[in-house]
Amino acid sequence: MFNKRVIAVFKREVRERIISKGFILMTILLPLFMFGIIGIQMLLMSEGTTKFNIDVAAESEELGARIEKELRTSDLMKEGNYHFQFYTMSKEEFKEFLNKKKQELLDEKITGVIYIPVTALKDKKIEYYSKTPKNMQLSQRLERFVNKVLIDQYFSNRELTPDELEFARQGIDFTGFKVTKEAGFEEEGYGSLVLSYLFTFLLYISLLMMGQMIMQSVIEEKSSRIVEVILSSVNARELMAGKILGSAVTGLLQMAIWLTPVVMIVSTAWFVLPADVMFQVSTLQIVFYLVNFFLGLLVFLGLFATVGAIFDNPQDAQSGLWPVMMLVLIPFFIAMSMIQNPNSDIAKIAAFIPFANIIVMPARMTILEVPMWQLIVSLGISLATLFAIFPLAGKIYRVGILRTGKKPKWSEVVKWVKYKF
Amino acid sequence: MHALEVKNLTKRFNSLTAVDNASFEVPEGSIFGLIGRNGAGKTTTIRMMMGIYLPDDGEVVLRGVKVGQEFKNKVGYLPEERGLYKKMKVIETLQYFAELKGKSGREIHKKANEYLKRFDLYDRRLSKVEDLSKGNQQKLQFITTILHDPDFIILDEPFAGLDPVNTNLLKDIILEMKERGKVIIFSTHLMDFAEKLCDHLAMIDHGKIILKGSLSEIKARHAQKNVSLTYNGDISFLKNHPIVEKIENFGNTTGIRLRESNQAQELLKLLVEKEVNVKKFNANDISLQEIFIELAGTDGVNTEAHHV
Repeated sequence: MFNKRVIAVFKREVRERIISKGFILMTILLPLFMFGIIGIQMLLMSEGTTKFNIDVAAESEELGARIEKELRTSDLMKEGNYHFQFYTMSKEEFKEFLNKKKQELLDEKITGVIYIPVTALKDKKIEYYSKTPKNMQLSQRLERFVNKVLIDQYFSNRELTPDELEFARQGIDFTGFKVTKEAGFEEEGYGSLVLSYLFTFLLYISLLMMGQMIMQSVIEEKSSRIVEVILSSVNARELMAGKILGSAVTGLLQMAIWLTPVVMIVSTAWFVLPADVMFQVSTLQIVFYLVNFFLGLLVFLGLFATVGAIFDNPQDAQSGLWPVMMLVLIPFFIAMSMIQNPNSDIAKIAAFIPFANIIVMPARMTILEVPMWQLIVSLGISLATLFAIFPLAGKIYRVGILRTGKKPKWSEVVKWVKYKF
Repeated sequence: MHALEVKNLTKRFNSLTAVDNASFEVPEGSIFGLIGRNGAGKTTTIRMMMGIYLPDDGEVVLRGVKVGQEFKNKVGYLPEERGLYKKMKVIETLQYFAELKGKSGREIHKKANEYLKRFDLYDRRLSKVEDLSKGNQQKLQFITTILHDPDFIILDEPFAGLDPVNTNLLKDIILEMKERGKVIIFSTHLMDFAEKLCDHLAMIDHGKIILKGSLSEIKARHAQKNVSLTYNGDISFLKNHPIVEKIENFGNTTGIRLRESNQAQELLKLLVEKEVNVKKFNANDISLQEIFIELAGTDGVNTEAHHV
């Protein structure tokens, strides 16, 4: 099978891919793009230099004085991004006040107005008026101060020690500990989520990109009739094998380049990620990821090449690609939703369904502790898929590449499988 | 000794039988023509010989052994619809196609440069194929066909779409290969070409071989009652004459079929008596075109005049 002719086809394929502009651009730009996105998110999270002008109005003097004291001594003031004005007024007065301030709110001269009614001491409900009232960041940051004031006030005429008050004031802090077999318990932030997004995204991009490339290449050979000259030297199976292997090895090389920064983040101190999103990746995970990716490439490149062979122009091929796209997209969305809910049953099953396992298993492996045997089973499923689809794909490919003219119907394609070619 | 034997090849596409039990023999050292109108089954036959299609029935035998990869390595094939990788460089293209035939290295590189020089493409050897003119792309394709020094050269409608310069170039290549003892097999729907180039032939119509053998033998067999005539004057009196079976005008020459094979002298006498100015009178001559029409009927026969 792997004779001189296959190697010749293989070499040409690798050379053609590697020197193509699209490939070079993607290889360099994608990591830059990813790190750019992460960087922008960090920037947004750290809220930058936005200034907040907030008017705080309390219904009672006492409440007003306490909140003013609390906020003025808070670290928010020290940062210098928050500017507060304090008022005391009744509900009626506040309505007038709000009307007066309406224009300033709309012009965003004032970020927002907070009103703390006396009833808040019973139901902890306070009012916030703003052009963008759903600013989570703001409410999250202010919440604990207001809460503290309300609690202090509430308990002030009861006999509690400051310690007891402190306890009552505290919110609950969920500290995540990942349970693993080996190293006891590890405190974990969002790192594994970041890693699993990364793995899933790279897998998805690469499968689609390499797939599209091989499909275009098959269509080119077919529509420019090169294929007939080639088939006078090699047989269709050798041609297909050489092309797919060439593409897959190129894809693997690209993936290795993409993963290099990931490995470097983990193993060196060159890039420092915030502790919250810092992730761990084991050698086993990387090895599994690459092996799984390579098998996945072989499977999907086979499908893309087959679709390319059925049609003789890119437009028809794109519209005929939907069954293959479904096989990539559905598992991709399952993997994405699993990142939200790692224990979902769909994801558990999908990790062992042919085609879907290729995309779902890597994501699953990064979020959950997946036993070794499951990883091996998943690779076994990919191999079995490969051996199951290739006789069929090869048959359709062989018939398809010599067909031109009318766009074939699916029913005809099914007939091709039975042809003696 | 036959270099190649085609035995009972059959190929069906759905309900259509493209090639129906075709058998013929290609002798060593010959230029063999596979002749028939468009859609007669020539390309399908050739594709089966090349192993591009698997036949439903029959086989192709190379010097006593069923053809396989060994045959593919020995063949240079020029399909009817030609194509090259547009983005590849000229020299890379040549090396790649030679490599597919199992030939690589210094030797091939040297030979590629020789051919490029001979065909005036040497200064374009680092250009991309897409930057070559159509004529130069055709030349490049010829080189890919013969660079690996094949024993067999199979050409499917080789002269279709060639300009006169390349037509001559290809003809020279064919004759040179014949001199070097190679077997050349080509298909064409142009009888004229076949008649001038090939020494053996098979005629195919509706997927069936209707005639095969050496050109001279076939002509001798069909020519006895035929006269080809070039003249000045009026020969309309021959139209209903008792010794004439049929008159056919081929432009420059007129083909006359006699009722009996011994009536040629009588015909010449008649023409002289009627004061027709006879410029050329060739008894026992018949064109392939006439033979083909005689065997397959006139519908759809291509009568384009082409000159090699």
